[in-house]
Amino acid sequence: MTEADGSDPVRILVLAPFPLNDEQLALRAAQLEAAPLPERVVVDFKPTKAAPANYVSHHDYVLADISMLESGLSAEADGYDAVCIDTVSDSAVSALRSMLDIPVIGPGRTQYAVASMLGRQFGIVTMWRQWFPIYSRVLNEIGLADRCAGIRSIDVAPDNRTLMAGKDHAFPLLIEASKALIEDGADVICLGSTTMHEAHRHLQDHLPVPVINPGPLSYFIAEALVALGLTHSRRSFPRSLAPKPDMIAAMLDAANSAETAATHPAETSS
Amino acid sequence: MSRVLILVPFAIDAAGVERRAEQQREVSLRNDVTYEYRTVRAGPTSFVSPHDWLLLDLAILDAGLGAQAEGFDAVVIDTVSDSGADALRSMLDIPVIAPGRASLIFSLTLGRRFGVLAQWEPALARYEKVLDDWGLRDRCAGLEHFDTPPDFDTLLDGKEGAIIPRMEAACRRLVARGADVICLGSTTMHQAHSHLASVLDVPVVNPGPLSYKLVETLLALGLTHSRSAYPLPQQPKPAMVTAMFDAAAEHERADAPGGNDV
Repeated sequence: MTEADGSDPVRILVLAPFPLNDEQLALRAAQLEAAPLPERVVVDFKPTKAAPANYVSHHDYVLADISMLESGLSAEADGYDAVCIDTVSDSAVSALRSMLDIPVIGPGRTQYAVASMLGRQFGIVTMWRQWFPIYSRVLNEIGLADRCAGIRSIDVAPDNRTLMAGKDHAFPLLIEASKALIEDGADVICLGSTTMHEAHRHLQDHLPVPVINPGPLSYFIAEALVALGLTHSRRSFPRSLAPKPDMIAAMLDAANSAETAATHPAETSS
Repeated sequence: MSRVLILVPFAIDAAGVERRAEQQREVSLRNDVTYEYRTVRAGPTSFVSPHDWLLLDLAILDAGLGAQAEGFDAVVIDTVSDSGADALRSMLDIPVIAPGRASLIFSLTLGRRFGVLAQWEPALARYEKVLDDWGLRDRCAGLEHFDTPPDFDTLLDGKEGAIIPRMEAACRRLVARGADVICLGSTTMHQAHSHLASVLDVPVVNPGPLSYKLVETLLALGLTHSRSAYPLPQQPKPAMVTAMFDAAAEHERADAPGGNDV
């Protein structure tokens, strides 16, 4: 069977982890330009209704999980064939898998798995060290921690809305950090954030080892899972005995209102 | 258009190759990637001992050594043993897909623990080696076999009714041992995949079709294996490898094929 035989379209929903305007969402959708997907694949990007300011504490992790869960909860009913999470933290992957039968792809676990197929060990290069815990969480969860040769940061505060804009000075630092990882034994470099996709081409052109671009990889793996009829194991991600989608929706509506009130107090106090 | 070479680990005839090629029709594939099959020229007859494993490593190396020069864009090894994959990676820049390690590692993205369905008891040693080599033992719920000598040529043809229920029973034993995902222990089990996937309540990874989707992904993203993990030899000896297999093929020419792979 090939596409030419009239395969059905594959609809992928990518969950962006913040409330973003169209321009900010477009910067994330630019990941689609990294490599052409098969023609039958349709990808939509969706922002969350609310979010933590960034991903540096356990407070942030649980807020990220709940906001991404809400954002993806209706994906299957909306006709999507797979969900990709647009953050290497793999936020909400487990919760969404417990609620959805369609594949839910975490780019963190996916890139560590693929890196393990391409070399003995991989390294993770990232923007700032505040993100280190999100890597160890996923590595431990999928049992590939001992394949990680190291994690290195360039200590440049990221901007999850404008991404790498105005951060050209980061590129040489990323090269330097990646070379240190290679020195430490990394055979493959993984990017510590999907938002670093704008640096991927530069890194691949200047490093002697494969560099994985986690967002685009996740779209290809989503299509592969749909084509193979594979999804996550229900035994690993059991259903809730009492799902509460309406409560979750109400929580995020309330979170959105609270954020709006905080951002625009004059509008909501009148 | 990309060209992929699939290396078949036994010297089987066209009909046997066609039975392996059926795997292509079990999954939706891109129409800008074409696949060609090539069998090894000689090799082991059984696949149960280090003697056999070593011969197959060399046989696959011989069969794939010229792939890049011939214009292929990637190589897929059609055996979960991943025989010859490391040696080929050390000689080729194009991606070389090893479905064994790929399916076990990939299964970790789908569930906590995998179980491996093996053909028969003598095949178990090879999986034990893979689990150790790849450090995956603590994520493996177990190995179970269905006690049936393999037929690498005819696969399950004409024997489905007798064999598939035994495969299903072995899979259910793996689930009872805690497997959240089943990995088929051989690309030759592909004929049973749709039945097993439909009756089991855990994902069943079909290693051949998975390897085709991975090759598409690596080609599209411009990824290949790391040269630092698979260094080039300082002194490649392709002519020596070719000469060894000219001799091996000559030696085997009179013999009827027979044997079994993983």
